[in-house]
Amino acid sequence: AAGPLDGAGSKVLNCAACHGAAGQSRSDAMPILAGAHPVYFKKAIQDYASGKRLSPEMEPYAKQVLVLGLDEIAAYFAAQRREPSRVKLDAAAVERGRTASTQCAPCHGPAGKGDADKGVPDIGGQPPGYLRNQLLLFKAERRSPGDEAVTKMKALLKAVPDDTLGDLAAYYSSLR
Amino acid sequence: ATAKTAGDLQPQSGRRVVVVGGGWGGATAAKYVRLADPSIEVILLEPNDRFVSCPFSNLVLSGVRPLSSLTFGYGDLRRNHGVTIVRAEATAIEPETKRVRVGEGYYTYDRLVVAPGVEFQWEQVEGLPQAKDTVLHAWKAGPQTTALAKQIQSMSDGGVFVISIPPVAYRCPPGPYERICQVAWYLKNTRPKSKVIVLDANENIVSKTALFRGVWQASYPNIDYRPRSRVVKVDPSTRTLTTEFGDAVTYDVVNLIPPQRAGTIAVQAGLVGDDKRWCQVDHVTYESVKHRNVHVVGDSTIGIPAPKSGNVANAMGKIAAVNIVNLLNGRPPSPLPPGNTCYSWINDREAIAVVNAYRIDNGKVVQIEQKLTPGPSAIYGQQAVGWATSIWSDILG
Ligand SMILES: Cc1cc2nc3c(=O)[nH]c(=O)nc-3n(C[C@H](O)[C@H](O)[C@H](O)COP(=O)(O)OP(=O)(O)OC[C@H]3O[C@@H](n4cnc5c(N)ncnc54)[C@H](O)[C@@H]3O)c2cc1C
Ligand code: HEC
Ligand code: HEC
Repeated sequence: AAGPLDGAGSKVLNCAACHGAAGQSRSDAMPILAGAHPVYFKKAIQDYASGKRLSPEMEPYAKQVLVLGLDEIAAYFAAQRREPSRVKLDAAAVERGRTASTQCAPCHGPAGKGDADKGVPDIGGQPPGYLRNQLLLFKAERRSPGDEAVTKMKALLKAVPDDTLGDLAAYYSSLR
Repeated sequence: ATAKTAGDLQPQSGRRVVVVGGGWGGATAAKYVRLADPSIEVILLEPNDRFVSCPFSNLVLSGVRPLSSLTFGYGDLRRNHGVTIVRAEATAIEPETKRVRVGEGYYTYDRLVVAPGVEFQWEQVEGLPQAKDTVLHAWKAGPQTTALAKQIQSMSDGGVFVISIPPVAYRCPPGPYERICQVAWYLKNTRPKSKVIVLDANENIVSKTALFRGVWQASYPNIDYRPRSRVVKVDPSTRTLTTEFGDAVTYDVVNLIPPQRAGTIAVQAGLVGDDKRWCQVDHVTYESVKHRNVHVVGDSTIGIPAPKSGNVANAMGKIAAVNIVNLLNGRPPSPLPPGNTCYSWINDREAIAVVNAYRIDNGKVVQIEQKLTPGPSAIYGQQAVGWATSIWSDILG
C-alpha cells in the first residue's frame, strides 16, 4: 500500500512549510490547497510561474512544481478532503457577507464550491485573511492584471466597499 | 524503574534510526521517518526539554513578542508519531559499530541523523572565551535572547548598541540585518538619541542587500553601518571592541555574534571536511561523505547551494527521512529538492522575504530561481506568521 510520503506525497513536502500538512493550512494568511479543483490549481501554478499572478513566494515554488510534475501534484491536492479553516469569525460579518454573496453565486455557486471544469475555485472554508487579501488584490487590479478569466469578477468587485469584502471573506470562510 | 546508565541503553529489536539534535532539522527528520514507515523505531536525543525557535526571536529584542510564544514542547512527537525522546546529549559517535554514546552507555542504530546546528568559535575573538556570560550572542534562541532584550531595554537614551557580524558562512544570512532593524526600530521609538553601530566582517550586507539598505535609508537614520569590520577583540572592562584594522569602538550594549562551525559532536565524529568547520553530504540522501549510514542535515552542512536557514534544515530533515526509509527498505533514493523562504521583520508589522526553489540535476541540488519581495509590506508580515504557524507544526506537530 502507498504511504502518505510515497509518490506525489513526497513531491509536496516543501509546500507544508507554508500551506500545512497535506495542504491543510491552519493560519489566516496562507490558502488551503486541500480540495482545490485541478483546473484551477494548474492555472494558478502556471500563472505564478509566468509572472501573470504576482507572488514572490509562489513564483519559485511554482517553477519547482512544473519540474516535479504539475498534473500529479494537482491530483494529489484535489484528493485531500478540505478541513475548513478554524480561524475565528465575527458572526455579524458572516451574516452581512451572506447577504452580499448573491452577486457571487452565479459563478461560485450557492455553497462557494465553484465550478471544477470552468476553473472557478472552491472558496468555502478558506481562511478569512487569505480571502480578504485576494479580494483587495483583485479590486486594485493587482492580482493577475489583464487576465480575462477574472475581468467580469473584477468589474463587479470595483463597486464593492472594502468592508463588504471583509464580510464576504468571513462568509465564504464559514462555509462547510 | 531506575535509568540504565551503562552498556546498551535500549537493545534494538527491529530497524532503528537515531537522531542527534531536536532542532529544525533533527526533530523534522525524526517525525518524518515515522510518517514514512511506522515500523522503524526512532530515538531522538536532545538535551533541552523545550524547542525555542530562532526564527522570530529578533522580535523578542524589540519587545514585539515574548519568548514564550516561540517555545514549544516535544510531546506531540511522542504522542502523535511515536518518537522516543531521550533528554540527553550525544557524547560520541562510533560509525564502525553503529553506536551513539550517551555518557557511559550507547544506542545502536541502522541509520543515524546528525543535526546539532552550529557551535561558536569563541577563540577567534580575543577576550571572548572569558566574557561569554556578559558579552551575549543571542544566536541560539533561549535565555540569551531574553537577557539581551533586558540589556537593550535598560540602556539610557543616547546609549550605543554595537552588533558584530561574523564572516560567512554563519547561521541565517539575513538574521543579523533583521536584528538590526528590530533594535533600530525599538531605539527610534524609545531612545531617540541612541544609535546602532554595525561592525560587519563582510564586504556588504550579506542577504537581501538592496532591501535592507532601502529600509535603513528610509526609516533608520540611527544605523551606522561599517562593512569590512571584523571584530578580533573584546574588552568588557572598557566596553570596547577592536576590529582587525585596529579600530576601537565602545559600546553601552554589545551583541557579538561569534564565527561559527558545525555542532561539536559533528566535529568530534570526524564528519567535517578539510575546513574543519562544516560537513559535506550527498545532495539527495544527506549521507555524510565521511561516514556511511550517517546523515547530516541543517546548519552543520555545507556544499548544498542553500542558506543555513530553519526552512532549509526542515526541508533537509524531510528529504533525508524519506530517503533513509527508502534505503532501509531496499529502494533507490528519490531525487527530491529542498526549498527556502526567509522572511525578515523590518519593524513590528512589516516584513520582506527571499525565496529560493531548487531542483536536482545529476544528483546535485541546483537553484531554479531566487525571488525577493519588491519591498516591505504588512501582507508579507501576515504571510510570515502563516509560514511560522505551518512550519512549527510541521516540525513538532
Ligand atoms: C536570530 C535568528 C533568526 C533566524 N531567523 C530565521 C528565519 O526567519 N527563517 C529561517 O528559516 N531560519 C532562521 N534562522 C536560522 C535557523 O534558526 C537555523 O538555520 C536552524 O535552527 C537550523 O536548524 P538545525 O537543526 O541545523 O539546528 P538547531 O535548530 O540549532 O538544532 C540543533 C539542536 O541540536 C541539539 N544538539 C546539539 N548538540 C547535540 C548533541 N551532542 N546531542 C544531542 N543534541 C544536540 C541542540 O540542543 C539543538 O536543539 C534564524 C536564526 C537566528 C539565530
Ligand atoms: C513560502 C511560503 C510558500 C510555500 C513554501 C508555498 N507557497 Fe503556495 N502560496 C503562498 C502564498 C503566500 C500564496 C498566496 C499568494 C497570492 O497572493 O497569490 C500561495 C498560493 C498558492 C496557490 C494558489 C491558491 C489559491 O487558492 O489560489 C497554490 C495553488 C499554491 N500556493 C501551491 C503551492 C505548492 C504546490 C507549493 C509547494 C510546491 C507551495 N504552494 C509552496 C506561499 C507559499
Ligand atoms: C463572472 C464569474 C465570477 C463572479 C461573478 C465572481 N467570481 Fe470570484 N472567481 C471567478 C474565477 C474564474 C476565479 C478564478 C480566478 C483565477 O483564475 O485566478 C475567481 C476567483 C475568486 C477568488 C480567489 C480564490 C482563491 O483561492 O484565490 C475569490 C476570493 C473570489 N473569486 C471571490 C468572489 C466573490 C466574493 C465574488 C462576488 C463578490 C466573486 N468572486 C464573483 C469568477 C467569478
